[in-house]
Amino acid sequence: MSMFETTLDGYAHSNGLRDVNTYYKVFFAICTMLVSLVSQSPVVPLLIFGIVTALIIFKAKISSKFYLKFMAVPFIFALINFIFMAIFFGVGKPLLELGIFNLAVTVDGFNLGFLLLARIMGGFSCLAFLALTIPMTELFSVFEDMKIPQIVIELAMLMYRYIFLFLDEVLTMYHSQETKLGYSSYRKSYKSLGMLASNLFIKTWMKGEQVYVAMQSRCYDGSIKTMSETGTIRNIGARNLILLAVFEVVLSVGTYLTGSLSIF
Amino acid sequence: MHIAEGFLPWYWCVFWYALAIPVIAYGVIQIKKVTEKQPDSKPLLAVAGAFIFILSSLKMPSVTGSCSHPCGNGLGAVLFGPAAVSVLAAIVLVFQALLLAHGGITTLGANDFSMGIVGPVVAWLIWKGARKAGWSPSLGIFLAAVMGDWLTYVTTAIQLSLAFPIPTFGSAFVKFIVIYAYTQVPLAIAEGLLTVVIFEYIMKLRPDILVRLKVLKPEEGKKIAAEAD
Repeated sequence: MSMFETTLDGYAHSNGLRDVNTYYKVFFAICTMLVSLVSQSPVVPLLIFGIVTALIIFKAKISSKFYLKFMAVPFIFALINFIFMAIFFGVGKPLLELGIFNLAVTVDGFNLGFLLLARIMGGFSCLAFLALTIPMTELFSVFEDMKIPQIVIELAMLMYRYIFLFLDEVLTMYHSQETKLGYSSYRKSYKSLGMLASNLFIKTWMKGEQVYVAMQSRCYDGSIKTMSETGTIRNIGARNLILLAVFEVVLSVGTYLTGSLSIF
Repeated sequence: MHIAEGFLPWYWCVFWYALAIPVIAYGVIQIKKVTEKQPDSKPLLAVAGAFIFILSSLKMPSVTGSCSHPCGNGLGAVLFGPAAVSVLAAIVLVFQALLLAHGGITTLGANDFSMGIVGPVVAWLIWKGARKAGWSPSLGIFLAAVMGDWLTYVTTAIQLSLAFPIPTFGSAFVKFIVIYAYTQVPLAIAEGLLTVVIFEYIMKLRPDILVRLKVLKPEEGKKIAAEAD
C-alpha cells in the first residue's frame, strides 16, 4: 500500500517530460507497446524496454529506485512464468534434464518463456511511461477525445479521487486495528478485515451521498467539465510526428528482420 | 489473477476485446439509464468502484500461508448487478494497470471478460438462485463469492490455454487448472468467508442500504433493523 502514498501521482505531475504534449506521449507509449506485442522474437521488446527505461530515468528524471519498485511486480511474475513455460510448455528436444519427475527444460519451452518475459517487460515499460509521465487528469481528457462515453469518464474521475481518499481511511483504520492486536491470529484477522471492509463500504456510501449534495449545491447538472493543459493533437508538431513515425517504423522493421531469431 | 501486459498474442487480445466490448457497452447503457432517472446514483456508483479497487488491494490471510487479495467481484455483482460491475471492473482494471502494474492495457479485454463479466454473472446468478431457494443471505453470498472466483479462474485458464495450446488445448488447460487448483481454490474459499463477514456487518449496521440496492426485500430489512433495536 505504500506505493500509493504520494509518489506516483507526484511524479506524474512533476517530471522532466511533464510539459511535452500529452497526445505525443500517449501515441508514443501505445504504438511502442503494440510493436512490442506483435514481436515474435525477444530482441525488439528488450530493445524497447531499454529505450523506454532510459527515457523514464534520464529524460523524465524519475528516481530509478521508484521505477524499479514499480517494475518489480511484473518482473517477478514474468520470471515465474518463464520458469513454468520452460519446464512444462515444451514438446521439442530437451535442453537440460532436471532429474526429478522426468522433467526437462525444452528448447521451444525456453524460447516461448523468454519471448513472453521480453514482451512483458517491453509492454510494462510503456505502461510505466504512461503512468509516470502523464497525470491522470490529462489522461481523462485524452479518453474524452477517444469518444469514450462521458458517463464512464466521469465515473473514472470520481473513482480516482475516492481511491486516494479511502486509502487514507483504510490505513488509519488498519493501523488502529493493528495496535489493538486485531491481526494477531487467523481468526482475528478475518474478523478485523471483515469489519474494516464493511465499515469502509458504509463510509464510502455515506460519502457518496454527501458528495452528491455538495455537488448539487455547486450547480451540478449531471456532467463534470474538465480542462486539459498540455496540448492538442494538432500542436504535436510535424517534426515530432515524423520522429515518432520513423522510430516506430524502425522498430517494426526490426521485428520483421529479427522474427526468427531466438537464443537456442 | 490478471493476465499481464504482453502475455497474450495480439490476435487473442483483439478477440477478447471484441467479446468484452458489447457487454461493457450494454453496461454503460444500463448505467446511463439509472443515472438519468436517479442522478444521485452517479457518485454512489463511483464510490462503489473505488471500494472494489481498495478491496482488491487489501492483503488477505489465506489458509495456504501465502497472502493474496480478494477480487471483490462477487460482492460487487450482488450489490450492484453484473451490468454495472462490468463497467466498474473495466475502470478498476485500468487503474490497477497504471497504479499497481497489475494486468495491462492490451490484455484489458481478456481480464475484463474473466473478472468483470463471467465471474460477476455467475456470482449474481448463484445469489439469485440461492435467494429463490430460500437459503439464508449469508450462505448465498458465500456461494456467490466462491463460485464467482472459481469461474473467473476457469475462464482465465481457458484464455491462457487457447493462447498457448501446447501441445494441445486440453493438456495446456490441465496444466493451468492444476496450478490454479493449488493456489486459488483455498483463496476463493478465504474470500468467500471474508465476504460473508463483510456482508453480515453491512446487514447489521445499515440494512437500509441493502434494501435500497434491492439486495434484501424491504420486509427483511425491517426485520433486521427491529432485531438490532
